Amino acid sequence: MPHPSGAMEALSTLTVPQLIWIPLWPLIAFVVLLFAGRRLGKLSAWFAIGALANSCVVTLVLARGVFAGYRLAVDWPWLSAASPAGVIGFSVDGLSWMMLFVVTFIGTCIAVYSSGYMAGDPRYSRFFAYFSLFCAAMLTLVLADHLLFLFIGWELVGLCSYLLISFWFEKPAAAAAGRKAFLTTRVGDTGLLLGIFLLATTVGTFHFREFSASIAGLPSGLLTAISLLIFLGACGKSAQIPLHVWLPDAMEGPTPVSALIHAATMVAAGVYLLARAMPLFTPESLQVVLVVGLATHLLAGSVALTMTDIKRILAYSTVSQLGLMMVAMGLNAPAVAMFHLFTHAFFKALLFLGAGSVIHATHEQELSRLGGLWRRMPWTALVCALGSLSMAGMLFMSGFWSKDAILLTAREQHPWLMWVLLGGAVMTACYVFRLYFCCFLGPEPQAHGDHHAHESPPVMVAPMLVLAVGAVAAGLVGSPWLGSPIFHLLQAHAHEHVDLPVLIWSTAALLTGMGLAWVVGFQGRNLVPGPLRPAARRLYALAANKYYVDEIYQRCIIEPALSATRALSEFDRRVIDGAVNGAGTAGWRLSQWKERFDRLVVDRIVNGLAETVREGGAVMRRAQTGIIQQYLFVVVGAVVALAVLVRL
Amino acid sequence: MTGPLLLGVSNALFCLGVYGLLTRRHAIGLLLSVELMLNAAALNFVIFGRAYGDAQAQAFTLFIIALAACEAVVGLAIVVQLVRSANTILADQVDLLKG
Repeated sequence: MPHPSGAMEALSTLTVPQLIWIPLWPLIAFVVLLFAGRRLGKLSAWFAIGALANSCVVTLVLARGVFAGYRLAVDWPWLSAASPAGVIGFSVDGLSWMMLFVVTFIGTCIAVYSSGYMAGDPRYSRFFAYFSLFCAAMLTLVLADHLLFLFIGWELVGLCSYLLISFWFEKPAAAAAGRKAFLTTRVGDTGLLLGIFLLATTVGTFHFREFSASIAGLPSGLLTAISLLIFLGACGKSAQIPLHVWLPDAMEGPTPVSALIHAATMVAAGVYLLARAMPLFTPESLQVVLVVGLATHLLAGSVALTMTDIKRILAYSTVSQLGLMMVAMGLNAPAVAMFHLFTHAFFKALLFLGAGSVIHATHEQELSRLGGLWRRMPWTALVCALGSLSMAGMLFMSGFWSKDAILLTAREQHPWLMWVLLGGAVMTACYVFRLYFCCFLGPEPQAHGDHHAHESPPVMVAPMLVLAVGAVAAGLVGSPWLGSPIFHLLQAHAHEHVDLPVLIWSTAALLTGMGLAWVVGFQGRNLVPGPLRPAARRLYALAANKYYVDEIYQRCIIEPALSATRALSEFDRRVIDGAVNGAGTAGWRLSQWKERFDRLVVDRIVNGLAETVREGGAVMRRAQTGIIQQYLFVVVGAVVALAVLVRL
Repeated sequence: MTGPLLLGVSNALFCLGVYGLLTRRHAIGLLLSVELMLNAAALNFVIFGRAYGDAQAQAFTLFIIALAACEAVVGLAIVVQLVRSANTILADQVDLLKG
């Protein structure tokens, strides 16, 4: 039975001004670290951790109100000149509370881990400043009850993602990856912005809770256009085909960043946006979401099978799992998608932290040069095993519950879709266990200084253990055993009991994938029958080259754009520069003429006048002797002369 | 009669004053010349008052004598200042107004 998306009944609202503290704590940490980070040194990590932990505590305190069925909100007037009743603000319902919990809780764990992972980095405090800014932006995005406000957070997390991917900007690859991520997500953001404009001019409201009421009577073609534009934004952020190319490259950033931003939270923002804007989606646009999600799930999964860099395997696995969430969205089951987002955040952050621990210990991320690490790093091996099992959908672990919820939803709507998704599950189990087997089992390669490998410090192991507990048990909140509290929180319909056929099929998929990983991925045997080998090799080359998406972009978009810019620069130089320089020369000539006129005519008149006055004065001053008797003589002479004249 | 003769005396007195004023270099001499001219004017008052039988002219003469005394005081004060500031008493050596 499809979950009716528009059926969210109005929740009673509680005004909770404390909401503002959730993003404010990390923001304060950011400001402090920005100005005093250098002086704080090692302490700066604890500033960031403390701030985020405070946000986490505030979030947990809010849980009671949210689970009691209230909508917590705080508003303040905004653009009241345009409409006197205009408000903007934060609000927390079940959906955003879940995201808040993921961001603050996993963020705190990862911040603790980073304090060990980043130790000794010359820009240690800068890292935590960016980290805090990211958390503040992400929490703003989640809390916003207004699409424009969400967009502000959306752009800020994009900025932080860029800053953190190219955190080691000395490496050209990191700088290029940051640029690529920024530009690629920009394509999606442009779509989202256009969607917002279209929404503003037609629906006329940006408040999520007013969407379902205000779309009544609008043509469905318009809604399809709006929702597809919003989906384009989600595609950019959540790395869906065809905008997925930035996420694997984003692995150039520090590993904790990959865990938090590029696995657990920011890339999930697209899924969250879709869940928020679900009332706007028409059946047609949901079809598009479904198709794009399915294509992403399968193609990224197959690429993950062929990658040899451990972080890139995890990156493609993230793309693939985000595709799975989009599939659930396309099936009009936002609660199921959000549940998978929730469990995925735990096990994928855990796997990334495990990979970071391996990289920290061996300074190596090439799969062929790793192996046998379980003896050196027993704790990392243990938590990675738990994370891998959870992701592959091991019975009664987190990944199992959320994946089975998606499979069940798929079976209810399109029975064939479940079989396709089971194929995806085989791939998931296969690539994650290939990674695990090659990394932790087998002989230790002696080619490099592997004997230096050691377990990571407790400050890194402890957060991994916490997340491992989450990866094992967090899914229970969506299991029928506990009455599916998460689905009630999201006001969605939940399955009453565990569905046995789906359980059996998904376990079969897990075992198949694990077996394939052992035989093909780890032992390197070729199971393909002889006649099919050339075709299989071509298929493998296709996947190993990531379906040539980067090359196609290079050929079709980047190079034409570059030649266009070259042509424009030539035009600039020839035509515009010529015009500007010509105007300059003409002005110069004219001014020369004017200068001559000034010098020959105007100056001469002025100077001549002054000269005349001066010479006249020189003559006249001779009369002024300063001797009084001479003046008197003139006076007497004049009187006598006048007297004579009068007499005449 | 004695009228034209007396007028001649006062004229001569006045011309003597003007001449002294134009030719004297010493500042005190200039003051004395001015006194001469004033006295010529006072003599004229007396002569014409007597000729027309008018007592007011005598009164004017008295005024002129008082005025001359005042003028001498002011003039001497100027001369003292002149000596102090320009360190000379000769009028043709003071030419600050020269253009």
